[in-house]
Amino acid sequence: MKNEAFNDRNVSSDGYFKVDIAEYPTDGWAKFTRVVRRTFRAELFVGLWVVLREMLKFDIHTIQYPLEKMPIGPRYRAVHEMKRLWESDAERCIGCGLCEKICISNCIKMDTKIDEHSRKEVSEYTINLGRCIFCGYCAEVCPELAITHGGEYENCSEQREHFIDYTGMLTPLEMMANGTQKEFEGFGAITPHEDESVKKTPLSY
Amino acid sequence: MSKIVNFTIDGVSVEAQKGETILQVARKNDIYIPTMCYISKTTPCASCRMCVVEAQGLEGFVLSCNTPPTEGIEITTNSNDLEHERTNIMKLYDVNHPLECGVCDKSGECDLQNKTLEFNVGQQSFAAKDIPRKIENWGMINYDPALCILCEKCVHVCNEVIGDDAIDIKFGGYSSTIIPKNSETLDCTYCGECIAVCPVGALISSDFQYTANAWELSRVPATCVHCSGGCSLEYEVKDAGIYGDKTIYRVKNNFEYTSLCGAGRFGFDFDNKASKNEADLNKAIKAIRSAKAIRFSSMITNEEAYILEEFKEKFGMKLFNEDARLFASFMDAYSSISGKKHHSGSLDAIKLCEAAIVIGSRIATDNPALRYALTTASKHNGAKIVYAHPLEDVLMKNTASQLMKYEAGAEEGVIALLANGIVKKADLDEDEKEFFDSLDLGYLGAESNIGEEEISQMIQSFSRAKNHVLIIGSDIMAHPRARNIAKIVALIEKYSAFSVVVVPSQVNTLGVSLINSLDIDEDMVDNVVGYNAKGNFVISSLEFANLSIPSLNQQEGTFVSIDNRVLPTNVALDFEGYTLNDIASVCAIKHKNTIDCTKLLSQKSGFKALNFDELENFLSAHGDDNRGYLLDEVDCKMDGKLENIEDLAEFNGTVIYHSNPVLQFNAYTNKTSQLERDTSLRGSAQFAQVAKISDGETIEISFGSTTIQRTFKLDEDLKGTIALNPTFDIAVDSSKYRFEKSKIVRVTNE
Repeated sequence: MKNEAFNDRNVSSDGYFKVDIAEYPTDGWAKFTRVVRRTFRAELFVGLWVVLREMLKFDIHTIQYPLEKMPIGPRYRAVHEMKRLWESDAERCIGCGLCEKICISNCIKMDTKIDEHSRKEVSEYTINLGRCIFCGYCAEVCPELAITHGGEYENCSEQREHFIDYTGMLTPLEMMANGTQKEFEGFGAITPHEDESVKKTPLSY
Repeated sequence: MSKIVNFTIDGVSVEAQKGETILQVARKNDIYIPTMCYISKTTPCASCRMCVVEAQGLEGFVLSCNTPPTEGIEITTNSNDLEHERTNIMKLYDVNHPLECGVCDKSGECDLQNKTLEFNVGQQSFAAKDIPRKIENWGMINYDPALCILCEKCVHVCNEVIGDDAIDIKFGGYSSTIIPKNSETLDCTYCGECIAVCPVGALISSDFQYTANAWELSRVPATCVHCSGGCSLEYEVKDAGIYGDKTIYRVKNNFEYTSLCGAGRFGFDFDNKASKNEADLNKAIKAIRSAKAIRFSSMITNEEAYILEEFKEKFGMKLFNEDARLFASFMDAYSSISGKKHHSGSLDAIKLCEAAIVIGSRIATDNPALRYALTTASKHNGAKIVYAHPLEDVLMKNTASQLMKYEAGAEEGVIALLANGIVKKADLDEDEKEFFDSLDLGYLGAESNIGEEEISQMIQSFSRAKNHVLIIGSDIMAHPRARNIAKIVALIEKYSAFSVVVVPSQVNTLGVSLINSLDIDEDMVDNVVGYNAKGNFVISSLEFANLSIPSLNQQEGTFVSIDNRVLPTNVALDFEGYTLNDIASVCAIKHKNTIDCTKLLSQKSGFKALNFDELENFLSAHGDDNRGYLLDEVDCKMDGKLENIEDLAEFNGTVIYHSNPVLQFNAYTNKTSQLERDTSLRGSAQFAQVAKISDGETIEISFGSTTIQRTFKLDEDLKGTIALNPTFDIAVDSSKYRFEKSKIVRVTNE
């Protein structure tokens, strides 16, 4: 491949041309006549005619949001979800604090404590969606695939506090009973056939 | 005679002092040898075998941690064989180690994790059948045997540095664990040193467990404020929960070289909360302007003490602080013979000593740092330690080699007897000779209950020792004959190999005694402003204050520790209210910040004109103390005259001794959430018999003008008719001798 076309950095020739712009009016009368001209030219009806024509065709490609919604790709990074374990319905989050550490907009906060079985328990967990930039680092860093992004992109509320509700993110138990919890395929997800590369620990029994 | 051994490590020629091991020399010269179980302040555990090195001409490997070098030997710290050996050790450590690093409290500060990554152990190639291991809860300490790698660091510090000797290893190959020694559950002073040294998350504070990760906590270098030991520590701070304010989560120390008692480690939440209220401030200013005196405690920084002194100069009021006044008076008398303003010993001197006498203090609870120094001396140098006190202390059992039990009140006689034994034959001047000639040894021996053979036994056991230390406890400060005792102590120091350590009773007693000119407390009630002390207007960081001020973990400033070292401390938690400096600035004593006073502290007392910000607060990688600065030595006039010994006081009947239980020191430790609060009067069966009370009964104790109610607890470790009365929950007059005659009445619930 030859590079001459790229090496020619003289943009003034070869296909570039100046846009033809009329002189700007300088005095008051000229300005007035321009306003009148623009107002009574029937340009508006050109647009209206296009809309009317398309409407009469009854073959519209527009999505009727909010009645209709586009399917969202599995890797889309919308509002977070907290997943449960398939085998026990327990929350997957172990409270390691990595998402809190990696969060670049400092919107994740958590508090942990020791529970009655001497295990680490997450006692409080919030994501301030008002600050979140949906970068996906938290989902990527999570060692348990506990925090992921979901497809829920509609956030609106009158209160900022509504953006930090933990129970809204956690998979409901009914979903677990129906087996309809969806695994996330985006950042941090297990690559297909990961299990084939796992080496087992030697056991003497 | 110090002998120097020259040899080479990895081709670098190095030299070792006598007694140093290969590992110590390597570390000094920044040559890296990996270890898992080595800890500088104990004898080598030699359990990990990671520190193996090759020595030329020797077959096999040498443990560098406990092998001293020989002249000219060539040591290799790295080779393929060594790498292979060490990697295999790491592989064995990692067998079935729970993969719970994500929740483990070490959260990355883990020796095992570091070394596993260093030796690239990516998979488990050995197998062992795992066995069930139960997580133990030992009160303030939790132990997870599954995480334990049996490095034995905890056992070594507990035995060799702390002296509790409370934990042991249960040997059983793969099923080995750490167990409480000779007990079902852990029975110790809960210093938490085992938690600090644990390289993995096996031993952990039960309060801290699973509440925070290491990386979330910001470290504030500070100084412990509970006793005069002045131990270095770091408060680890983070916002509590998801909305909370800054809170101290735990306290850590440089465990490689220093130790911390349980009060320092677990008693950190004594911070004060307040907001700015101008009406209160105006009341405080009015109270100070009209005050005849300010009564204050020694739980303050040097800078606060300096500002209080400025108040005195400006308004001509008196300053009351009996604790520091008595200390100053003792040191004044000591200086008049010794010619030096400060005592000569330090905790480091105690750690290196081979003979020590402790007199006039229940030292294990009065000053744990000093106890640990004594334990270190006893275990590492085989030091002979004479523990002289009217009460036996079970905590000193493992440390003290000789108990010298004297009668309460007989300190002057005991010191005179000791001096007579130690310096009688020295080259004394006339007056001093006369003093010793006039001693009625028979009377003193009989009244103080110290036999001649006890003294001669002591002299004999000390005969070969180098580095002697005489430790004077706080009983003696408040003794009516304290000044004469101080002179005899100075005499011992003058004519023998003894250095002297005088134990200040509170965190900054020593600092206050150097900064303030104190007046005798006339027990005035009206027109007295109390500063962390009682008064009719109280400015305090404790409860029931008319104006709240920050606690010592919310202030920056300096303390003077038992080592005569000026130690800086920093703000761990914010305080919203007023400080003493705010009051002072309204009263036309202008300092922008309280710490501007650091450089103003009197150089006549040995302080240096250094700014607070110039003071460092860290230990170097080799353990050198870079904290603050040592007070300059100040020469004093030697015009003191020894007085003859007066008749010794007698204490009969039910005597109480003001002494706190383990981990409690004062109203601040009393405020903390983790430390146990045992307010009971503890006495022996003999005491119970004399007082006609029995275990568990509610009693009323009257001493001096005070009457309090307590529960009586029978303590099998105690003997005799002296009971221990805690003072952390009541304000006891520190001008009084710590032994007091008391009246004890059983309270009947009718």
